[in-house]
Order: sequence, then C-alpha cells, then structure tokens
Amino acid sequence: MAGLTSVQGAVLFASYVGFGGLCADIGVPLGAAAFSTFLIAALPSQLLLIGGYASGSAALVIALAVLLSAARLLPSVVTLLPYLRARFWTQLFASHFIAVTVWVESRRLLPPLPSEGRLPFFFGLVTLFNVSCVTATVLGFLLSGQLPRSLAIGLTFLTPISFLLALTRNSRDLVDYLSLAFGLALAPIFAEFSGRLDLLWTGLVGGAAAWLIHRLRKQKRAI
Amino acid sequence: MNALINSGFWPYLLVIFVGFLPTDIWRWLAVIFARRLDEDSELMIFVRGVATAMVAGVIIRLVLFPTGDLVSIPLTIRIGAVAGGFFVYFLARRSTLIGVIAGEAIMIAGAYFNPA
Repeated sequence: MAGLTSVQGAVLFASYVGFGGLCADIGVPLGAAAFSTFLIAALPSQLLLIGGYASGSAALVIALAVLLSAARLLPSVVTLLPYLRARFWTQLFASHFIAVTVWVESRRLLPPLPSEGRLPFFFGLVTLFNVSCVTATVLGFLLSGQLPRSLAIGLTFLTPISFLLALTRNSRDLVDYLSLAFGLALAPIFAEFSGRLDLLWTGLVGGAAAWLIHRLRKQKRAI
Repeated sequence: MNALINSGFWPYLLVIFVGFLPTDIWRWLAVIFARRLDEDSELMIFVRGVATAMVAGVIIRLVLFPTGDLVSIPLTIRIGAVAGGFFVYFLARRSTLIGVIAGEAIMIAGAYFNPA
C-alpha cells in the first residue's frame, strides 16, 4: 500500500488520467489507450506513440523514436537488479515493469526489506501500479467526454505540464537540463523544416549538443 | 496492408510493435548484459541526453501544434500556461504539484474566458 500513498504514485496516477484524456482528445480508441498502459507501462514511450500518431508520423519513425527514448530504461533496470535476485526468466519478467516511477519507489522501498521478501513485494507493487495506471487511463478517457469544455482542456493539458515539470525535477546533471532546454527549443524549428523525422532530429541534435557541452566542461575541469 | 490499417486491430498492432517491443527490448537487454554496463559511462550520458531532448520535443509539440481541443486556445495562453507552471514550480522550491496546479489554473481560466 506504500505505493499508493506516495507522492510519486499520485503524480503517476494523475499523469495517466491526463494521458487517457489526451487519447480521447486525439481520437485513439479507449481499448488501445488502456492496452498501451497495460502493455508498455512507460509513459514517455506511450506519449511518443500517441504524439507521433496524432501528427501522422510513419510507424517506423515512431518506433525509432520510442526505441531511442526507451534506452534510458536500460540503466534503470541494471541498477535495480541487485535487489531482484531470481532466476533469469523471473528477472526478465520483472524487468518489464520497471519504468521511472517504479524505479524511484523500488529504490526507496526495497533496500530496507529482507532479501527474500523483496521480489514478492516488488511484484505486488508493480501489479498495484499497473492496475492503478490502467484504471487512471480509462478514467481520464471517460471523463474527457463528460467534463465542461474548460475542464476537458485542462485534462488534455495535464500530461504536457506534469511531464515537463517531472522531467525538470528528475534532472540530475547539466546534461539533463541542457537536453531538456534544447529539446524544447529545437522541436518547433525541426517541426517546421525537417518534415516527418523532426522528432528524431530534435533528440539527436539536442542530445548531442548537450553531451558535447558536458564533455567540454569536463575537459576544462580536468586541465 | 490498407485493409489492415482500416481494421480495428491497427491501433493495437501499433501498441505492440511500435510501443511495446522498442521499449521492452531495453529492459531485456539490461537483464542479459547487467554485469557489463555502467550507468555513468559516456555512452549512457549521451543516450540520456537524446532521450530527454526527444521527450521534451514531443511534449512541447503537443502544446505548440495541438490536434484536439487545445487548438481553440490561443497560442499565447498555451505558452503562458507552460511558462507560468515553470515559474511557480521554481518559486515553490521545485514542487511539481504546485507547478502543475498553477499551469492548469492558467489553462482552465484561459479556456473559460476564450469560448470556442
């Protein structure tokens, strides 16, 4: 139950209510919206999928964008595995549920537990998260048709604003802040000039520029 | 192919092949290569940068070039709600909740006073 009472959990729930509302607004079927939350369980991937779908990007381009963005899950899973000692296939199954919020909460809740209790606790936690997030998606989707116009618009706006602020809060280093700023600044420019691959260009150019500045600063410090 | 795109299954296939597989492959690779990876290696930092810029890009695109209800809201209000949310977030010593509430308040007020 600790997962439900956490601020992170509440923000995630609200984000998925917003995601459901956004899906309704864009015209994604309710079943597909709920299915994406159940199966993907990573909001950035889902946003890229829905956002790409909304702007009419080719499926292959969206897949590439999702692939590039989901690479951030790899270090998250790696750092959590020491707390999830089990056979290979069990670990493989457990890894499916790891995304940003599950990672944050597991880092907080798993270490104090005795090691044999961690895996059952983890599976309980992620089941709760998955059920809550699917419920939130359906709730947001259904709400969006019932609310007065101004509130429905507020619901659609919930995903962008909460995600932007969460992205800012989760930033650790200069690279994170710079790539966030570059992404925001470059997206409208590339959307205007680079056609259907704009998202990939935004990521690659913004990320590379942020990384280069980080490298240069590191070298300067080393001298 | 067209028959498939027009069928009700298309969004579900997109979820599986365009959302689920490209996401989960990283989770599986992490389990397979866990021992050989360093979270703070330069490659990982680069990947983090690309991922962050791309997600920031897709979000701001939803605000600047919306497709649904948000279209009826003037651009200045959409940008104002984002900027206001950020401003209050920092003002409230990095409280995501208060920042979101501030941004939402601007957006909902903007929608209320700008009927479609």
